[in-house]
Amino acid sequence: MFNPVEGAEAAAQLGKFGAGIGAGIVAIGAAIGIGKIGAAANEGIARQPEAANDIRGGSLILAAFIEGVSLFAVVVTLLIAIAKT
Amino acid sequence: MKSLLAYLLSLRGLVMAALVAGACFLSHRYSAHHTGDTVFTTLYMHLVPAVLVQPEAHAPAAEHAHADGTTHAHAEPAHAATPLLEIPLPAAMAAFDYRGAGAPAPPKTALFNLQIFQVLAVLLILVAFAGVPRYLRTGKGDPLTRLFAGFADWIRNEMVYPTMGKELGRKFLPYFLFVFFFVLFMNLVGLVPYSATATASIFVTGALALTTFLAMIGCGMAVQGPVAYWKHLVPHVPLPLWPLMFVVELIGLLVKPVALTIRLFANMSGGHMVVLSFMGLIFFMGELWGPAGAWGASPLGLGFAVFIMIIESFVAMVQAYIFTQLSILFVNASVHPEH
Repeated sequence: MFNPVEGAEAAAQLGKFGAGIGAGIVAIGAAIGIGKIGAAANEGIARQPEAANDIRGGSLILAAFIEGVSLFAVVVTLLIAIAKT
Repeated sequence: MKSLLAYLLSLRGLVMAALVAGACFLSHRYSAHHTGDTVFTTLYMHLVPAVLVQPEAHAPAAEHAHADGTTHAHAEPAHAATPLLEIPLPAAMAAFDYRGAGAPAPPKTALFNLQIFQVLAVLLILVAFAGVPRYLRTGKGDPLTRLFAGFADWIRNEMVYPTMGKELGRKFLPYFLFVFFFVLFMNLVGLVPYSATATASIFVTGALALTTFLAMIGCGMAVQGPVAYWKHLVPHVPLPLWPLMFVVELIGLLVKPVALTIRLFANMSGGHMVVLSFMGLIFFMGELWGPAGAWGASPLGLGFAVFIMIIESFVAMVQAYIFTQLSILFVNASVHPEH
């Protein structure tokens, strides 16, 4: 399962290594962003329970924007991972 | 329990269930059996749109390929079998050839199993909403009709009207209702066994986002005037900055539909990929440690797969909501420019 490789094949494997690291960094960034939104939304709901519906809708939309950016990055890492060369 | 049965056992619920089952049957019958070189690629091929082929013609062809002893790792039986329906395309659209690059001269497109589920989504909308006008007039309707009437009401009162206002919202409401339920039904039917998720294809979501994009540009130009729309793209900035800002805003305008496309596509295919990965883990352990490993990994893999499926059914609804809500925001922003 774990065979040492050299030369061009090693370079290709290194590319996939980069894709994996990229996917991890994407997860960190998205988690920070969505975590901040979630924290703020919950604080807002706790302060003003009557505005819970508006806050929830707004936070979903904002989370969707962050998700969109992170999914762009995921698609890029996927393209690196499945690239032939 | 009794109320759940009331939803499902009404005539409307039975017809909808029959439609879903029929579509799954059609898709399963007319798509080629997937074979890949490893179990992961075989599982992954269930995510890729499959060409609809003749059911009888494909079975002997697949047998023959194995009998030759020439086991092409990437030989796709879908290409060897005769497609159900091939439609020639004009030569300019060679990039859209379904057989990939280097195919013989007239580019062709074929029926894919995704088309079945797109048609199914439209049929489901027709069945689900057929009784709604009568329910709104007379107050009589089966549980499913009441459910969808309330759903449509929620979209109007919570999504369209607060953003667009009553006057404009009334004009755009049918489009957004359709987009919401079209995406919702495609997402949800994709969770049924033997089905395919139409929204897990970037072409389907791209076409949906394109309609939003055309609505943004078309309605913006219709309301503000063809030239004024492009002028109002840029907020008030000093004159030397104007060309730069125009380019930036133009890119921003183009990124919006692309983001809609990628978001829906990646969410729907990502969930399926995670489920398939957990199922593939069982086979991976089976290869590594034999049957004992497979049996040992089964409860964990299956449990996580079910857990992800539960999340996915939530994501299916949230993504339909987000797609619609963002479309509303984008169209509204282009009709009412910032000043």
